[in-house]
Amino acid sequence: MNDGWNIVVCVKQVPDADDVTIDPDTGTLNRSDAPAVLNRPDHNAVESALALREAVGGTVTAITMGPPPAKAVLQTAVGAGADGGVLLTDRAFGGSDTWPTSLALARAAEELDADVVICGEESTDSSTGQVPPGIAAHNGWSQLTYVESLEPRPDEDVLVGKRDVEGGYERVAAKLPVVVAMEFGANRPRPAGLHRKIFAETEFEPVEWTASDLCIEDRVGLANSPTKVGGMDTASPVERERVRVDDVDDLYEHIMEVL
Amino acid sequence: MTIDIDDYRDVWVFVEQHEGDAAPVSWELLSKGRELADETGESLIALVMGDGVSHLAEEAVARGADHALLADDPVFEPYRADPYGEQFRALVEERKPSIVLIGGTHTGRDFAGRVAVPAHAGLTADCTELAVDDEGLLLASRPTFGGDAMATIKCPSHRPQMATVRAGVFDASEATKDDVDAAAAVEEVNVVVTEEDTLSTVIERVVSDVVDITDADVVVAGGAGAEGDFEPIVELAEALGGEVAASRAAVDEGWVEPARQVGQTGKTVRPHLYIAAGISGAVQHLEGMNDSDYVVAVNTDPNAAIFEHADYGIVGDLHEVLPALTAMIREKQEVAV
Ligand SMILES: Cc1cc2nc3c(=O)[nH]c(=O)nc-3n(C[C@H](O)[C@H](O)[C@H](O)COP(=O)(O)OP(=O)(O)OC[C@H]3O[C@@H](n4cnc5c(N)ncnc54)[C@H](O)[C@@H]3O)c2cc1C
Repeated sequence: MNDGWNIVVCVKQVPDADDVTIDPDTGTLNRSDAPAVLNRPDHNAVESALALREAVGGTVTAITMGPPPAKAVLQTAVGAGADGGVLLTDRAFGGSDTWPTSLALARAAEELDADVVICGEESTDSSTGQVPPGIAAHNGWSQLTYVESLEPRPDEDVLVGKRDVEGGYERVAAKLPVVVAMEFGANRPRPAGLHRKIFAETEFEPVEWTASDLCIEDRVGLANSPTKVGGMDTASPVERERVRVDDVDDLYEHIMEVL
Repeated sequence: MTIDIDDYRDVWVFVEQHEGDAAPVSWELLSKGRELADETGESLIALVMGDGVSHLAEEAVARGADHALLADDPVFEPYRADPYGEQFRALVEERKPSIVLIGGTHTGRDFAGRVAVPAHAGLTADCTELAVDDEGLLLASRPTFGGDAMATIKCPSHRPQMATVRAGVFDASEATKDDVDAAAAVEEVNVVVTEEDTLSTVIERVVSDVVDITDADVVVAGGAGAEGDFEPIVELAEALGGEVAASRAAVDEGWVEPARQVGQTGKTVRPHLYIAAGISGAVQHLEGMNDSDYVVAVNTDPNAAIFEHADYGIVGDLHEVLPALTAMIREKQEVAV
């Protein structure tokens, strides 16, 4: 393969984690008043997709699933340097948990003839980390999660990932096609180029696919999601004393009291 | 896809191991699994996969499992997602467990989806509470948004009900039964994967002994505010007989090893005393330390969020505050001696 790899990067629009509040009356999350942004770990995914393209050639296509405004995160990815973007948008996707979500992304990656699919470690809003292995499982592809760095071996159709494991690391060679979950903070995302950014915001239009375009209209949405949220409780906030002390002597006394 | 959920019964616990050593979370899940199985009146079954690991299957029985299933084959060492997932999936389809618990470690979270996806099972990530309701339905609860809310997830019409479960939240089971009956309660299962089918190869694996901060009574944690110098944190931890921990920012800088990271993607600690020095108090960090009995914060920024989540806070430079504190503690120890 000399014409490079088809690299797909999965990105998600999330409420800015720092701005999500809890409604004290209902105990539900107020996501609506938080501005929507690109999931922070996905910046690392976009960066490694671009670096991989530099190493082996090919194209980077960003995909996201969400309502039409989710287009904004594709613009962020294209602004950073992705070649194009696909928006999976359809009411049929509504209420999808990780099972149908990873199915939709897996089908789109297949449609794009992906060699490598790169995701962030997890999303800051639902933080399951289950979507990348889910994509790999749906397609029967290999996977590399908790990846610190990538080393492509295009002559062997193999991608080597250095993975963080308990107490150390391992290097794993995975056959293409492969799904990668980059560890949050694994690299320093490059800033978007000004011209690319203007292009992304003014001229770029994502390709839009519906569930039926992917032939999965009967397999997505709430009805096909095995998990249901049975309740949301405001975790009884841990009551803390919040005592300010002025000097180390006081602090020492308090510590001795509790020990 | 509809299934008859009544065909599914029993509680399974995956015993994670590496090179024959069980991950501590395995025995934590086994004790919680025992409780759930007793409540539903079902059996508790341990699943052990690896190469030459029958001793762990027996240990699982000694620690409370009714039976253990053992998949023993070189293909399972070292761990890789695809052979583990495929073997586990085949067993789940054949034997139809109702509840499946897997450690919320990198290993568990890596392959759980490879079982849940083909089985169309419900999988809840990184739970911190497990219970069963009146109908025997698993209630898997997990913190969302940095522990500000707890979501309880159910799987009413799919099986098995799978959950990855955080390390350090349940107490480990102890060995109570003697090993004589243990071997008899171990069943070696048919291995359905071969090396030729695998999609990946482990080229190199470098691991050292993993420190366990989850059991510590005193934890002294440093963050980005340490600016590369963890000495004051190490000294204070030593003086207090506690463990050193860190925020993700400090781990990412390489100042501290990843096994000492506290938070959503790190460890959950439950010490009596947690000292957070140079840590801002991001939601993802708080999630790992909220169960501490007492929290002390040291931070130069009077508006740092950590002060809202601390019992005692001092505005100051950790490079001055901590050494002074350490000196006072040492002084008192000398007097005592
Ligand atoms: C998906 C995801 C998962 C994450 N998981 C985790 C996790 O598991 N654990 C975790 O910790 N974070 C996690 N994070 C990161 C988290 O959002 C924060 O970025 C991180 O906790 C910040 O670390 P910090 O408080 O050490 O650094 P900063 O936020 O940079 O704070 C440093 C603090 O030190 C203070 N300071 C500076 N100098 C001094 C000094 N000399 N003396 C005293 N104080 C000083 C500053 O005032 C500041 O408050 C995660 C993020 C994401 C997106």
